[in-house]
Amino acid sequence: MNASLLNPFTVTHPTAVQTSLVSGASFARFDPTGKFVAAGRSDGSAAIWDLDTRAVIRWCEGHVKAVTSVDWSRNSRYVLTSSKDWNVIIWDLASPVDPPQRYNTIRFDAPVVSAYFHPRNSRIVLALLSTGEAYVVDSRKEHRARVELCETLSEDDDDERARSIMTTARFDPSGRHVFVGTSTGNVLVFNSRTKIMVARHRIAGAGSMKSLEFAKVGRRFATNSSDRTIRQFILPTYPSPIMGAECAVLETELEPTHRFNDPINKVSWHAMCYSPDGEWLAGGAADPATHKIYIWDISNDGQFATALDGGREPLIDIHWHPGASRLASTTNQGSVLIWHCPSPERWGAFAGGFEEADENVMYEEGESEFDIENEVELAMRKKLQEDEAVDILGGVDDLVDHKMNGVAGDPGDEDLEWADDEPDDDWQGWRLKVIMVDDDDAY
Amino acid sequence: MDPLAGMDDSTTDDDNASQTTEDDPQVPDNHPPAPQPPQPAPQPVPQAPPPATSGRERPNYELRHTLRGHTQSISAVKFSPDGTLLASCAADNLVKIWSPFTGDLIRNLSGHTKGLSDIAWSTDGVYLASASDDTSVRIWNVDSGLTTKHLKGHSSFVFCVNYNTASNLLVSGGCDGDVRIWNVARGKCMKTLHAHLDYVTAVHFNRDATLIVSCALDGLIRIWNTTTGQCLKTLAEGHDAVCQHVQFSPNSKYILSTAHDSAIRLWDYHTSRCLKTYTGHRNEKFCIAACFSVTGGKWIVSGSEDQKVYIWDLQSREVVQILEGHEGVVVAVATHPQQNMIASGSIEPDLTVRIWSDRGSTC
Repeated sequence: MNASLLNPFTVTHPTAVQTSLVSGASFARFDPTGKFVAAGRSDGSAAIWDLDTRAVIRWCEGHVKAVTSVDWSRNSRYVLTSSKDWNVIIWDLASPVDPPQRYNTIRFDAPVVSAYFHPRNSRIVLALLSTGEAYVVDSRKEHRARVELCETLSEDDDDERARSIMTTARFDPSGRHVFVGTSTGNVLVFNSRTKIMVARHRIAGAGSMKSLEFAKVGRRFATNSSDRTIRQFILPTYPSPIMGAECAVLETELEPTHRFNDPINKVSWHAMCYSPDGEWLAGGAADPATHKIYIWDISNDGQFATALDGGREPLIDIHWHPGASRLASTTNQGSVLIWHCPSPERWGAFAGGFEEADENVMYEEGESEFDIENEVELAMRKKLQEDEAVDILGGVDDLVDHKMNGVAGDPGDEDLEWADDEPDDDWQGWRLKVIMVDDDDAY
Repeated sequence: MDPLAGMDDSTTDDDNASQTTEDDPQVPDNHPPAPQPPQPAPQPVPQAPPPATSGRERPNYELRHTLRGHTQSISAVKFSPDGTLLASCAADNLVKIWSPFTGDLIRNLSGHTKGLSDIAWSTDGVYLASASDDTSVRIWNVDSGLTTKHLKGHSSFVFCVNYNTASNLLVSGGCDGDVRIWNVARGKCMKTLHAHLDYVTAVHFNRDATLIVSCALDGLIRIWNTTTGQCLKTLAEGHDAVCQHVQFSPNSKYILSTAHDSAIRLWDYHTSRCLKTYTGHRNEKFCIAACFSVTGGKWIVSGSEDQKVYIWDLQSREVVQILEGHEGVVVAVATHPQQNMIASGSIEPDLTVRIWSDRGSTC
């Protein structure tokens, strides 16, 4: 809403470190509002940072081994942490206590590598175990289930080809499908409702898949794989499975639209992520001696834009802010660097009615600029101008309380209806309570 | 110091401007013949139903309660965000919590050692911040009446205070010209903006707390970036128009300012254009607050030095109702967040807070 005042510049990727949060973290994730950062630590806790005050506001302490991933529900009420101690814990931040109340604990029989909420309903969780199996856990009353996602092997070659190990699993932004990367360089696509595999994409030369990222707008996704290359693909469309019918698995080879790598140092990538508008892609280089973030300009045919240097502490993770040109990158010493796009101080802003010009401009006199006008007429004109109606309430969505995000996609879209059934209580208007901290000089 | 009031979201709009509708004429105010409960309040007040002059909707506020208890000039009144409580503060070092529906005093918050200039509720209504001449801000737990945090840092009187919507930040302005941003949970000052050269008389966050607007007796209204502390814009009123109160509109697209040339202005701060001017009241000397009323019709409400409360139509800028009854300058007004209710507070010799409400069914 303040874009015109706050962001008068055209560069929209971050360029400088604004602040460093010393948190012992191994990775950090912005919440969907961009006000908080959740930092997972190797001691089994996760810290929720408030970016307004740059202070930890909640400690989620519940795991006994390292936290491997965190995810936020769509309105930030629930936070999920997965850990090497075989558990996934869902925390309810609406509880006015620290540590926050556990909403649910999901136990597996192997260390959990990553876990994600379904984008439309936080009661559905996708978890990937270190044994290479992926599960969709549904804790809604009517749908309670834990289903393993099983690769469907084609009849002809199932003998010689063992089931491959799943190395990464994500929901796509609509939540209709689960994308799974495997150790053999395949991307498998499952329908999240039926848990049936709908497609297998072979990606030539990729090696083992390390991670998958989706752009929020535009149907694109990127893969990071063991051949030190980030590939960007156009997201194919898949037909919704028809009830009862045995659907064929779509077997295709996907051709990347772009390949991103560092041709000189040949670094591999720890993480990558899209900017919220999908115009930039950032890659965190796995360089043992430097902290480098590469930024590519997707809107400009994937041209390399810049490499940001974050100092000496090597980078292990990056994440892009959900709505602004900010990045969070984590160093191996546990600091979370928040990058921003600084705007130079404009001293002209201190003078009323004063505008700075970049260079000298010839003054051009307006047609009637120095004419003497009848004051009565001026007053009349001003009065007329002031008759224009103003709207002091509209234009802000958060003035309206959306109890539920009941805006379904197309009615009749079975996959979305399935996800919206038994909605969670993660409604938009909830507020995080401020918990007063008693420190030194408190009363 | 008497400051301002009502900046919460609750308040709403205003409109009207300019040229004078004369004050009194149109609408005299009414008095409830028999107000209700506890305090048999009313004072001498004229009474008359609003003349149905124009076809436009008009407010029909009537005095409900007169709250007595402060012993020195009242400087601010604020409704809690859920509308169940009313807080007032005064130069007698006290914050008083009242029930706006019955007019009963619920609690005194005492602890400040000098007079108070402003108060602000946190969004959840649990805490109340108060700004005092003892150069500190206190955050009170309203239920227990105890001080939760004592914010020290200003080098002079603290004149104004406000929470952001998330209530994790507090902004305060002092007579040293500084604006300070505080971390509420820890009670620590995060940032000091050397904002003005004179008393900072009002500070307010916009909805998402990305901007702060401040105004001072140096006549300038400045808009700041909360995170970086950079000044983004300065609005200057006319030379005779020293601004004393400023706030964002509920959607944060505009700002409303009051000035000593007896005018209230609504600005589009992107273009620095004054969109509406509301006149008719008198404001030449005191720091008088204005606020938006959005619960029924869209009004602007403000106190006045002629001891009345004025209500303007937001769009047409006409005075649509004048509330009479106070016997001192009305410096503080606040509007209820959900109902058609106005609270107003006056300085010596009146020393009362009055609650007015509009029971609907206006013409």
